[in-house]
Amino acid sequence: MNPEDEHPAQRADNTSAAESVSSRRPASFFQERPPQAMEVDPQLLRQWTRRDVLLFGIGTIAAAAGGASLLPQTTLERLGILHKQKNRPGKEWLLDKALRVDDDVAEAMYSGNRLVPTYTKSQITPLRNNYNGATPDPGYIPEWRLTLDGLASGLSVSLNIRSLLASFQLHEQITRLVCVEGWSAITWWGGLRFDDLLRAYPPTSQSKWARLESSVNLGPWGNPDPYFVSLDLATARHAQTLLATHLNGKPLTVEHGAPLRLVSPVKLGLKNIKAITRISYTKDEPVDYWAMHGYSRYDGI
Amino acid sequence: MSHSTQLDKERIATSAPESHAGVLVVRRHHLLVRCSHWLNVPILLGLILSGISIYWASPVYQHKSSPMTGNVDPLADLGVWICAHVPGLHQYSSPPDWVYNHISLGPGALAEALRLHWLFAYLFMLNGLVFVIGSAMGGGWRSLLLRWTDLRDALMMSRYYLRVPVAKLTRRSLPHPRFSTKYNALQRVAYFSVPVAGLLSVFTGWTIHKPMQLHWLTAIFGGYDKARIWHFWLMCFFISFVVPHVALVLADGWDTLRSMIVGWSMKAGRSEDL
Repeated sequence: MNPEDEHPAQRADNTSAAESVSSRRPASFFQERPPQAMEVDPQLLRQWTRRDVLLFGIGTIAAAAGGASLLPQTTLERLGILHKQKNRPGKEWLLDKALRVDDDVAEAMYSGNRLVPTYTKSQITPLRNNYNGATPDPGYIPEWRLTLDGLASGLSVSLNIRSLLASFQLHEQITRLVCVEGWSAITWWGGLRFDDLLRAYPPTSQSKWARLESSVNLGPWGNPDPYFVSLDLATARHAQTLLATHLNGKPLTVEHGAPLRLVSPVKLGLKNIKAITRISYTKDEPVDYWAMHGYSRYDGI
Repeated sequence: MSHSTQLDKERIATSAPESHAGVLVVRRHHLLVRCSHWLNVPILLGLILSGISIYWASPVYQHKSSPMTGNVDPLADLGVWICAHVPGLHQYSSPPDWVYNHISLGPGALAEALRLHWLFAYLFMLNGLVFVIGSAMGGGWRSLLLRWTDLRDALMMSRYYLRVPVAKLTRRSLPHPRFSTKYNALQRVAYFSVPVAGLLSVFTGWTIHKPMQLHWLTAIFGGYDKARIWHFWLMCFFISFVVPHVALVLADGWDTLRSMIVGWSMKAGRSEDL
């Protein structure tokens, strides 16, 4: 069998499949085109091959090495690639840059008017106590007060839970809480809107951020470990951003941040700080607990 | 080796005495397609390594806590088994972590894993764009489109592959099914599925990354938790594609591997191998 003979006379009456495809004009835009054949000097072909194999080989090795060098220090050490603690600033710079780009993308995607999906009571799932350290002793609850700083009035305001519940309208919502770890829970919250608090106690006109702090937060051995998050005021003003006082129709328990916690379904769970004791409004972005541990700062989802 | 390369050798030999000793080659892959193909190696590796670390922060597939070890994760059980049965690993510090320590970034690396995953995810999307531009410029996308005849031809190709081992053992010659197209039906199904899976990975990835701003997209994949499972199985698809892909290319020979580097093939006219 020799369908593609070199001889032109024989080619004319050749009726192999390949020939008939290549001589026919394509019937439609989507039809596969016949292969483009060309005749090349073998010497030249060898040169091309050498050049391309070298270039692609070097490129692949460089890209793979570049990718591998981005691996965390502990991983490289365990794999035996790197034994000494040598932190290359270049790697950090690239990863920080990527993280910042991703935060900017998240901020650009955020819309204050876009509401997150809500669920019915039958769809509620259990919410775990995800305190990173120990759960605080509920002894703090009776003396609990919320302090507000950075207000337009220049004063510092201190509120207790009774006055908060008495002076603000309570809203209920069943939304999904998404954790950075990957799990999620559909939860039924009740509380006041952060926006209502901002209207009642307006921050200074330059304020763009809120710093929310929980001074009762504990570390893994029960040691005091204040927890603090940054929250942009655009998110704080979202209609579904609550300062929650209730879970499943009952007052918050100590596991879920009694008596007041943040519920912001447009942010990752780690921004949803429990047992808030102080809210400060600032012009510049405040530091964030988990951002200091290498996580992103904006955390919009 | 296929007979078409033998044909080329014959052609070179017969035409050698004449003035033009040219070799007939066909264009196979556009430069941008070749670049994006090889860039996928480090990018997919980075995505899979960091992705497994992220999965590990909250594993989906768990069983009841084992009374012996307290493990809930099948891969932790596998790690315990490996450390108990593989010589030299009896002293391994944390057997449940063995699998994750060797196929991902290691324990407690969620922050790093997320950073790496997003960096590689943006690179993966850019690389997808390079592929789309390359296959549009080179016209290669047409060769990937599925046809109705693929149903029958894929069966024919499967039958051929099933008969290859028997033919090799009995030393009988087994003619390769002939196709006038760039790829045979099985190749086409595989090479068509990969860009589709890439696209689905990107969509499910965005769904997991921004389940509130893109909640309509999340709803398409059945919600946040289901989207994670989609994303996980798409990773499994890539792994299950890569293994036979590499094996078959190596089995097919240098011309096929070279064509993804240099762009042309000596198999003028038709594809007869994978």
